[in-house]
Amino acid sequence: MDFALTAEQTLIVDMVRRFVQEEIIPLEINLDPDADELEPEVLERLTDKTKAMGLFGLDTPPEYGGPEIDMVTRVLIAIECSQHRAGIYTPCYGAFGGARQAQLFEATEVQKEKYLYPMLRGEKRVFFGLSEPSGGSDPARAIQTRAVRDGNNHWVLNGTKLWISGADRADYGLVFARTGGAGRAGVTAFIVETNWPGFNVARVVHTLRSAKYATEIQIDNLRVPHENILGEEGGGFAIANDRLARQRVPYAAECLGAAIKAHEMATEYSKIRETFGATLSARQGIQWMLVENEIDIRAARLLVLDAAAKSDKGLPFRTESAIAKLVCSENGFKVIDRSMQIHGGLGVAKDLPLERWFREMRIRRIGEGPSEVQKHVIARDIIGGSLR
Amino acid sequence: MKVLVPVKRVIDYNVKVRVKADQTGVELANVKMSMNPFDEISIEEAIRLKEAGHAEEVIAVSVGVQQCQETIRTALAMGADRGIHVVHDGDIEPLVVAKILKELVDKEGPSIVIVGKQAIDDDSNQTGQMLAALLGWGQATFVSKVEIEGDSIKATREVDGGLETISVMLPAVLTTDLRLNEPRYASLPNIMKAKKKPIEQFTPVELGVDPSCRIEILKVAEPPTREAGVKVSDVGELVDKLRNTAKVI
Repeated sequence: MDFALTAEQTLIVDMVRRFVQEEIIPLEINLDPDADELEPEVLERLTDKTKAMGLFGLDTPPEYGGPEIDMVTRVLIAIECSQHRAGIYTPCYGAFGGARQAQLFEATEVQKEKYLYPMLRGEKRVFFGLSEPSGGSDPARAIQTRAVRDGNNHWVLNGTKLWISGADRADYGLVFARTGGAGRAGVTAFIVETNWPGFNVARVVHTLRSAKYATEIQIDNLRVPHENILGEEGGGFAIANDRLARQRVPYAAECLGAAIKAHEMATEYSKIRETFGATLSARQGIQWMLVENEIDIRAARLLVLDAAAKSDKGLPFRTESAIAKLVCSENGFKVIDRSMQIHGGLGVAKDLPLERWFREMRIRRIGEGPSEVQKHVIARDIIGGSLR
Repeated sequence: MKVLVPVKRVIDYNVKVRVKADQTGVELANVKMSMNPFDEISIEEAIRLKEAGHAEEVIAVSVGVQQCQETIRTALAMGADRGIHVVHDGDIEPLVVAKILKELVDKEGPSIVIVGKQAIDDDSNQTGQMLAALLGWGQATFVSKVEIEGDSIKATREVDGGLETISVMLPAVLTTDLRLNEPRYASLPNIMKAKKKPIEQFTPVELGVDPSCRIEILKVAEPPTREAGVKVSDVGELVDKLRNTAKVI
């Protein structure tokens, strides 16, 4: 078994690492510690560079103009891209291309023209409206937003969506609503424009993330044209399942990038910080924290690369991607917590990125499927699996 | 015309260099190595000459251990066309590198050799000048601007107290200064192509060059740590300290 990177992957990692060190980190010196956006002209200067590097649109399939990279390389890039203050939720402030709305790749040609391509070009912003006050982990059961057919050409939607990121800044997005009975087959995905009457952002929900907040959406008699159904009626959950499992893998890898950086910072700091006549690095209590960081990072890295490699080989990787998401977010959080502890008071100051990583990594243990739901998926696969 | 660009594998500029415990050199084990930043500027300039239609081919050369191939691949990923690796384990001095480059120039017949003005590890700043002398070519050192004008080069040099613009007949050796250009990032298509680009290998002996060193390194030491300053209460005390403690006035 060979875990070594190929010559190409080594060059790609070097190139991205350098981009982060030379283009992104210097910018952050002058940004608000919680910033998650760049001035449009600054972002444009950076996207010009990522386009010249041939890496713009990392999550765009090659047939839509994205780079031809496999999932292992995508993971290696994700680990590098997230090694800066805003890196967990906005790797490189979006310089490598837009949001991941994998479902829109399943749209019809007409829908693609109207909704997918403007998003890929970075002209339009998109939200994803799945979770409701009744829950987000088991949406097939939880969804109570209703869509009722009104004549041949329209549907009327009513309900509430919660924890929806960026709906107040989006141009359009997906709203999952019940068109049939209970369970998966009763849910349909609609493409909804945010300026249509009946679509209201009721409030902003402030969370641990200072920069980006979630929203609550109130949907009152929102009329949606029939042609805005994405996929089949009753097929809301069938669309893009594979793509969703796939995007969980770089999501996991992004947790790792910040952890690696935090560990590096803690290691460096422990060597210069002296207490009671010796450096922190000379204290066994601190050494063991650094050792645990190292082991947590290595274990998570191998697991996320394993998920990526299985996906590249066309093997089933649902269990692997659940394990990767669980371990990267849980280990990432522990690493950042220890690194913060080693930094003492500095660790909680906004002068350093650790406090932002701490808050945002805490959310990663819940977002994109909480650890317990990942365990549920893994358990189902273990218990349902055949004997080896 | 062809452009030859030597690229040196050095400790990455982000790495904090540490002296080995036995003071025979600096620690290289598990240290990130990269292309000398001045050589990146050289590669960038060579690729720009090619893009502007002045050059047909850019050849990247590295002298040293097996891993120098990685440095050559980086140059290929930026856009160089092919590589030459002169394999040598152990220390190597500027004069030996200059002799090796001369042999390669005789073989390849480039019109321009673009050399970084110095490498960030030993800061010798000798190879380009020695090469020009061995070849009997003109040279423009520390260039911050290069324009091809027929069969000569107009080069702006960074000299003490200002800029000097000179004209050098081709063929010529250029050595690059920091402000000549901003090197591009490698690109995914070039990284993929780099695998297929050829890297020829030679040993110094095959090129007729004796690689042995003429300089013996006796000792490598850390620079002395800076001591904390002192505050003075008034001008009188300052003058006294300058005169009697620092002895500078």
